[in-house]
Amino acid sequence: MKFLIRILAAFFPAVVSVQAASLTLSAEDIRGPLSNIKGIQITLAGAPPSSSLRMKLAEVGIQGKTWHNLHFSCDRFRTRREEINCDSGALRLSESAPLPVSFRLSVPGRTSDVKILDVRIRNSAGKTGEGWKLSLRTGRAGWEGTLTAANGEIAQVVQLLPVSENAILPSSTKGKINGVAKLRADLDGAAVIDAHLAVEDVAFSDVSGLHAGENISVTVDARARRMPRQIPGQKTHLWEWQADAHWPQGEVFWQPLYFAAHGDRFSARGEVDGSTLRLRTGRLSLAEIGEIDLSGRMDWRANTLHDFDLDAPDLQMAGLYSQIVKPFLINTSFSALKTAGQAGVKWRFRNGVNEMLDVDLRDVSLEDEGGRFVLRDINTRIPLRAAELTHAAITIGGGHVSRLPVGPVHIPLEITGLNEPDFRIPRMEAPLLDGKLTLENFSAIRQAQGSLPGWRWQFSGDLSPISMEQLTRALGIQPMRGTLSGKIPKVTFDGSAIEVQGALLLNVFDGTVLVWNLKALEPFGSAPSLMADVDMRNLDLDLLTGAFSFGNMEGRIDVAVHDLELFDWKPVKFDARLMSSPGDYSRRISQRAVQSISSLGGVGAAAAIQRSFLRVFDEFGYSQIGWSCTLRNGVCGMGGIESEPMPHGYLIVKGGGIPAITVIGYNRRVDWRELVSRLQRITDANARPVLQQDKQ
Amino acid sequence: MVSSIFRAALLMLLSLTPLAGHTQANIEIDTPAIASIKRSMQQRHSQLEPYYSGGAIGFTRDGLIVMRDANAVPLAARQSVNGLIAAENQDRNALYREIARANSHPEWEADIRSTFGQRWIELARGGWWYQGADGGWVKK
Repeated sequence: MKFLIRILAAFFPAVVSVQAASLTLSAEDIRGPLSNIKGIQITLAGAPPSSSLRMKLAEVGIQGKTWHNLHFSCDRFRTRREEINCDSGALRLSESAPLPVSFRLSVPGRTSDVKILDVRIRNSAGKTGEGWKLSLRTGRAGWEGTLTAANGEIAQVVQLLPVSENAILPSSTKGKINGVAKLRADLDGAAVIDAHLAVEDVAFSDVSGLHAGENISVTVDARARRMPRQIPGQKTHLWEWQADAHWPQGEVFWQPLYFAAHGDRFSARGEVDGSTLRLRTGRLSLAEIGEIDLSGRMDWRANTLHDFDLDAPDLQMAGLYSQIVKPFLINTSFSALKTAGQAGVKWRFRNGVNEMLDVDLRDVSLEDEGGRFVLRDINTRIPLRAAELTHAAITIGGGHVSRLPVGPVHIPLEITGLNEPDFRIPRMEAPLLDGKLTLENFSAIRQAQGSLPGWRWQFSGDLSPISMEQLTRALGIQPMRGTLSGKIPKVTFDGSAIEVQGALLLNVFDGTVLVWNLKALEPFGSAPSLMADVDMRNLDLDLLTGAFSFGNMEGRIDVAVHDLELFDWKPVKFDARLMSSPGDYSRRISQRAVQSISSLGGVGAAAAIQRSFLRVFDEFGYSQIGWSCTLRNGVCGMGGIESEPMPHGYLIVKGGGIPAITVIGYNRRVDWRELVSRLQRITDANARPVLQQDKQ
Repeated sequence: MVSSIFRAALLMLLSLTPLAGHTQANIEIDTPAIASIKRSMQQRHSQLEPYYSGGAIGFTRDGLIVMRDANAVPLAARQSVNGLIAAENQDRNALYREIARANSHPEWEADIRSTFGQRWIELARGGWWYQGADGGWVKK
């Protein structure tokens, strides 16, 4: 607008002196220190004092911004000695809709030192008194401009802004502004800016829609003052500024964050010194999260952040997680949590690099909405420093993972670095039921690049004896006796699969279980599957059959399950062989167990025993047991004792001692699900015999 | 209805001719893991379908989906649509990996992905958007 004053003021003497019917002024190029105007054409038609004015500017450049094809026309352009005015002008930029503009330039008194320009842009609805009003007053000592908005339509102003790619622009014509902004300048330039503006119902968006807001109301009070800088011999200055903003209404999506207004506030003060914007103190008050103190320094021309400090000692974990943290955890185990507790964050960024980050959690609880885990009473203080080793202690009061109770746990975490931190736990112990899980040499690092970006981790460990009774009860599965313990060799996660390098050794049913080649594919994805080879040695049949209500058996067995593949914890493929362990031990099988084994082959076999004389014996002797199952495509291909081939069928129990019993299977192919349901029926029937008899 | 169309499309997709260059690849192979991924994708499809039709989400050439025009999604839903896209892509990646693995050739994953990328586009309904050969968006 200052530029308009200049043009009009320059034009003024010519206008008043000319008496011709039409006057056209053209210029190719006018260059100034701050502005550059090309293709100027100004036409004044009709005789003063009432004429029509047409002004075309092909290109206007001001401080790096460029406008094209600026048109201004005024049919009632009046000129008098002390005043130029236009009651009903139209301003248009390129193809935009014309804005109803009126202006009045006056030179009160005889001197031309004081000029007053009033420009009004009426609202599109044409309501009296509504719209934009700009008053500029220039004098010897400087100039003063006041912009007053009375339901000023933002869309009207925005269409006059230079358009650039990826710009964030109003996406609706509804937004309005009320308030006053004043700019006062002296001979050295602008000196004071004072603005009190209330924005209502604004919507904005970039082209992609990934940075957008709707229905936004904001009030802003801002003040800036030019101050002389205290450098002897130099006449330079800087700006001191302060701003307070209140956000009572609206919603913003700023990929990937989404915020809805809850009366949030921002207050800040600082300086602008050349291209340096300094935030001395800033406070962001987010209604559902807490208060965040900010300060920093940036080069606003280069859009580069130099220094930044963020201090938020008391944040609400629930709001912090749901509004800020959660969107960054999509597709992880922590993407859907209910959280509670308090968190503190302190971040220091100096000379373009992260220097420190302190995170502390106080009485935080994390509860997976899918019920997979709950961790309660998490307390920690993690002081991260760039290129330094940090020792942090995390305590977890309790909770559960899957159905297993957790805690209390103390995690001595070591972290190296800040930008790409490397996490280590040299050793920790976690109580697990009546035993404990010991974790050793845990390390984790987040890999940003590569074919599988994400976390990589590894550890080894040890499981000290856990009562199987407690474990099976906690897991809600068939009760078993004995203990579970073992050595956990090196376990690694490469971003896609968890792999156990070496053998996992467990002690159950008084025997040993070796798990080899254990691998979990996509353990945190939608289709986790598990693969392993399992070798069990010398399992006590008495403990085993007692656990599964199968009917008592005495003896020892070896079980090999190779190429085991589980999906959703259900086997989809394996080669299993079960055989009597070598050695000298009591080998007895109860009638109920014989019936159970027979029943696996169908109802008829069990009934056959009942009909024979064998029913008078409670138990029998045997010399060997053998059974195999190759599971493929839902079908179990069965076999018996390999060293005792039979022409028809296969030998499952080879008799020995008195009375002896031999069990032969005939059906070599059984549907796996049918076999499992038969086993289920047998163990259910044995566990609840009375109930089953009543049913029959 | 939508789900049955998707099922039919998926069935067609999975019973396509063998992969070019890998005459023994069986992409209709069905394992419990593949069945589970397909179930998960079918369940999600009814939530994604309006965003395919509305142009918010488009099919990429590498067999994934991407937010093409967030302006077509109500502001408050943009974050949850981001979540749907991420979950769908996780399933799609797992599907390609699982089919390659079920064929005992994990190294075929890239070819399987590229075949699926083309077939999803061929099976897309009219009005849905996909990425053309030059990377630009095309409305089917």
